[in-house]
Amino acid sequence: MRYTTVIKEMNVLFSGQVMVVSKDAIVIQAIPIGGGMLPQNYTETKLKKIGGVERAVPMLFVTPVGIGGIIEPVPVNFSMGIPVESWRLVLGPTPLRGNVGHFPKNESSREVVVGTSLADQYNWIVGKEIMVNHHRLNVTGILDTKLALLTRCIVMPLELAQSVYNYPESVNILTVKPLDGYSQRDLADLIEQNITYVNALTEEERNDMIQPVLAQVETWNLGIQSVIFIMSLILVMTVTIMSISERRRDFATLDAIGAPLSYVFRLVILETALIGVLGSILGIAFGSLAALVLASLYTNIPLAQFFPSIFEIVPPLYMLEIFLAVVAVCCVGGIIPAINATRMRIAEALRAEY
Amino acid sequence: MKIKTADLTRTYRIGPSTITAVNEVNLEVNKVTFAAIVGPSGSGKSTLLNLLGLNDCPTSGKIFIDNTDTSLLSGRERRKIRLFRMGFVFQTFNLLPTLNTLENVELPLALAGKFPKGQREKAMRLLGNVGLGNRVYHRPKELSIGEMQRVAIARALANDPEVIIADEPTGELDSKTAKEIIELLFDINRKRETTVIVATHDEKIVEAADTLYAIRDGELRLEN
Repeated sequence: MRYTTVIKEMNVLFSGQVMVVSKDAIVIQAIPIGGGMLPQNYTETKLKKIGGVERAVPMLFVTPVGIGGIIEPVPVNFSMGIPVESWRLVLGPTPLRGNVGHFPKNESSREVVVGTSLADQYNWIVGKEIMVNHHRLNVTGILDTKLALLTRCIVMPLELAQSVYNYPESVNILTVKPLDGYSQRDLADLIEQNITYVNALTEEERNDMIQPVLAQVETWNLGIQSVIFIMSLILVMTVTIMSISERRRDFATLDAIGAPLSYVFRLVILETALIGVLGSILGIAFGSLAALVLASLYTNIPLAQFFPSIFEIVPPLYMLEIFLAVVAVCCVGGIIPAINATRMRIAEALRAEY
Repeated sequence: MKIKTADLTRTYRIGPSTITAVNEVNLEVNKVTFAAIVGPSGSGKSTLLNLLGLNDCPTSGKIFIDNTDTSLLSGRERRKIRLFRMGFVFQTFNLLPTLNTLENVELPLALAGKFPKGQREKAMRLLGNVGLGNRVYHRPKELSIGEMQRVAIARALANDPEVIIADEPTGELDSKTAKEIIELLFDINRKRETTVIVATHDEKIVEAADTLYAIRDGELRLEN
């Protein structure tokens, strides 16, 4: 869920712009997560010569980050190098927490701003010196934002990022804003015609690239859910049949004293529905907790930090869906046992021992 | 309620063999009669009572209730007769273990659609009549077997049935408790004018019953 949120946010952050990346880069929503670097000055110069470009901002996007010199096994932290003069163009009006601190002032400073989640996890405060990829950096502000991408991000001047991550004079992404009158598509075509070693991706293309991945994730989820539901259905049915079989004398007694078939049927369905209600409440509670624990283990982010965002990890609508689906499965699973209960031979069942 | 049977037969198939549990039984139990059926274990007493109580269907022959041929009744109509006109007392009580004493007695009233307040008052009164007014919130497992049988009798009386069918009601009880239960059944027969049909081995019932039948190998014989 967090990854899909980050993926969706990427396009929010760079809305209306063409993203230029190396042809051999591995990209998600145009954010390079591996592969090709671009020569900064050469690419920038070539871009500026193309008509239709209002501005081009070179950036270095790095993951994993290497906080404290440790390279995390799973990329949950990000680092962005942005030219100081373009800072606001990329981050927009993002304020600093408590209005304390300042954004880095020049390219050669050791100053960085960090996301809230990172700051809370590592107890970083404004003025603190931190180690990133074996470099000492100073935290000058904490970004006050709810964007999942930025909460786990270290943002620094581009030159500093190139130095920290050892990519001198190199970038892996340029955001290009089209001049008025130019569509993203037209500009992207122009860029790709003039600079042969890059891909220029419009917002639409970026979405198109990620849709199959998201669709595949959805399909997988649906597949797993279907298997679980079918197994649950069989399990509920089997357990209820066994339970009714053990209580066949009780059901026969109900029959003998004249309980209508609809009453017996409803009794069984109600029982399985109640199991569904209790089971789904417990399941959602423990399942959500398990999701948090797994997310914590998977990302090295402390569990406590996930609690406030539990409804982002397991959204309430998803919880409601699970609740309704489990109750429905239990009710459907109770149908055959309920029919069995109504078809019991009273005379034989009355002789049954517990 | 008058119950009459005509050549009532019930057979079971067990593997390749056919067992005749009730064989061409002709019986007539008139209103307000206390009828006892005696016979050794496996003679067909319980099968016959299940047939008379419309809990089972005969293989052949007919059962008439107030001259109505029950083989012509739908399952729903048979259930209605069981609920409103008959009461059952089982040897092993068959109380629902998850319900307390009061709820067990209330159950037939609830099934009959009585209002909750009325059903509670009536259940309390019935439990008082069988001497269990102080045990209403106990679960069956917290009661003695004599008390459990009293609850079963109170439950059988819930909808003021015209007939009580009791299958060895004293079979599980000690002699003192059995005597109390027998007195209770005779009391119901006389004071409430309820027909009682009892399958039993109990000498006291046999001696005091209005009509006595003996059953052996599924064949019924009038003894008095």
